[in-house]
Amino acid sequence: MTETFKTDVLVIGGGMAGLLTAIKARQQQVEVILVDKAYAGKSGQSPYADSLCPFNRKWGHNLEKWLHAVNVSGEYINNPEWTKLVLENSFAIYKLFKSWNIEFHKNPDGSLFKKEMPDGGGSTVFFHKNQAPQAARKEALKLGVRIFDRLMITELITSDSKVIGAAGITAENADLRIFNSKVTVMCAGAAGFKPNGWPIHELSGDSDALAYRIGAEVLGKEFTDTHMGNRKTPAFIPFAEQMKAGAGPNTGPKFRRILNAEGDPPHFKGTGGLWLSNEFEIHAGRGPLSAEMPDGSMMEFAGGTTLGLASHKTEGIVPSGLTCATTVDGLFAAGDALGNMAAGAKYPFMGFAITHACVTGCMAGKNAADYAAASPRNTITTEEINAVRQRTFKPLNRKGGFSPRWVIDVLKNALSPYFILYIKHEDRLRGALTYINFIRSHLLSKLIASDAHELRLAHEACNIVLNAEIKLRSSLARKESRGCHYREDFPYRDDKNFLGWIKLKDIDGKMTTLFEPVPEKYRPDLSIPYERRYTARIPGELDHFKRTL
Amino acid sequence: MSIEPINLELCTGCGTCQDICPVDVIRMDTAQGIPVIKYRQDCMLCQLCVVECPANAITVTPGRLSPVSVSW
Ligand SMILES: Cc1cc2nc3c(=O)[nH]c(=O)nc-3n(C[C@H](O)[C@H](O)[C@H](O)COP(=O)(O)OP(=O)(O)OC[C@H]3O[C@@H](n4cnc5c(N)ncnc54)[C@H](O)[C@@H]3O)c2cc1C
Repeated sequence: MTETFKTDVLVIGGGMAGLLTAIKARQQQVEVILVDKAYAGKSGQSPYADSLCPFNRKWGHNLEKWLHAVNVSGEYINNPEWTKLVLENSFAIYKLFKSWNIEFHKNPDGSLFKKEMPDGGGSTVFFHKNQAPQAARKEALKLGVRIFDRLMITELITSDSKVIGAAGITAENADLRIFNSKVTVMCAGAAGFKPNGWPIHELSGDSDALAYRIGAEVLGKEFTDTHMGNRKTPAFIPFAEQMKAGAGPNTGPKFRRILNAEGDPPHFKGTGGLWLSNEFEIHAGRGPLSAEMPDGSMMEFAGGTTLGLASHKTEGIVPSGLTCATTVDGLFAAGDALGNMAAGAKYPFMGFAITHACVTGCMAGKNAADYAAASPRNTITTEEINAVRQRTFKPLNRKGGFSPRWVIDVLKNALSPYFILYIKHEDRLRGALTYINFIRSHLLSKLIASDAHELRLAHEACNIVLNAEIKLRSSLARKESRGCHYREDFPYRDDKNFLGWIKLKDIDGKMTTLFEPVPEKYRPDLSIPYERRYTARIPGELDHFKRTL
Repeated sequence: MSIEPINLELCTGCGTCQDICPVDVIRMDTAQGIPVIKYRQDCMLCQLCVVECPANAITVTPGRLSPVSVSW
């Protein structure tokens, strides 16, 4: 049974970015529908975040110093205008959380606990996991946002290259739902390949995949997130325990330090905790790696906890300007779905991702509402709806073919070894791409589903495979190493050719790589010697310079 | 391993677990008013059901039913 709904603003995804988009848009008196594949306010990554980075001069913060720190940790390819927008608007988010009575971690004397940034500039504060998204959901409902839970958006609908709505299926019965909107805001989060442990299980890269298919540009996919898991239980992180533990910086994993098999800390040290230092140890044969626990026992790590995820706040849909609009008319994006390069080539510090999601959500809501108020609604024709129906239900109508579960497992087996997406090399990337191309061309066209649940999995499989191809092609195109992207065959930063963003776009049915240099005014001072410009050394780099100098 | 059989003595049949499972593992048996773990092989151990169940009727234990591939 197909139903069509009309709205001014359609928000896809109900994490903090989507909920704040909906709230801010609704406050502009436009009609808002928010759709979530799972349950808005309780899904996505948002319920797990517990740190925020509010910028406040009265707390002794220094914006210039803070911006400089992000610029250096992001290895000079962050977009400083976006970084600044996020930080400048971050204190309002802290105040909003306070107004919702979100609990923050306090010092014994009752004052707010603040963790100072190692490089100065600002600080991080810690709040109770899981409270903010639920408070935001309540607020959204109070304001009159219509929320549809358990409804996966499977495609964006366009007319004359403009987004005029979206289509999706209900979890229960795979009923088709058509949303006809004046403007659509993509807030469906980051990408994952259904990895072990890290809770991005329903985040199958839908934001990037859906937007890419209708002509949007996607960037940042070559930078790899490097969270690790416990080898004994690689798919299990004690989140229930952490969520019940209250507010505080100690609700996450507690360990003293990481040691390699020789009992030494990793040889390569970078800024921040989510660099590739552990993968370098593994590759050199100094694994396994273990954490030294407070009681002196050792916990052995396994990699791949976040397979498919880009380093927090690198990947996403390329914006056009600073309003959260994208390069496609009628489509905005916010949160992890927005590829604005606010962080650069590596995650800068705790709190930046959720702060970014909230700030961009607020911006997108206001700007999308303004856009909607000034735009007509284009009709979605019956013909178009019939075509959507045909595409959506194909796997249900096939008699034979491949199970989406199996296709996802095959992809994971191919891409999870560390030497594909963590320690990269042209030969291996090309090998993986050949494999993925076969999956795309041969298996995806024959996916089968026996019910609504499997139909959703089939759509997820298609999005995961597309994301994999984008990741491999972005990684091939960046013939250098930078931040969380390491190429064994190009083990150095190449400022002459790669100070910029690699963007992927469908041009005439072909995945095409575009390069946009970082604007001249944001470039690092190239007269500073390389070793000082980049203080984090990477394997093979010094040998390379010895050879070329 | 993964989501364990729901303790039906504690369960009140409120349906929260079905609504919040992000990967659609649980479905309500509307006739009987009880939740059924319909797609256990897809449980990814996020434990949101454990956190949100108002009756504390759900347990998730480490280990997935489907094979786990690690990167190293
Ligand atoms: C364990 C953990 C700890 C973290 N800790 C921190 C921290 O302390 N500080 C910090 O700054 N950041 C942290 N992060 C990162 C941070 O949580 C995310 O960057 C942020 O929540 C992103 O918000 P979002 O709204 O963009 O996306 P999400 O919260 O991921 O929401 C995306 C939503 O979109 C929905 N969706 C997806 N696809 C579709 C579709 N096709 N149709 C409809 N809906 C769809 C999903 O169900 C989900 O509800 C953490 C993340 C995790 C997992």
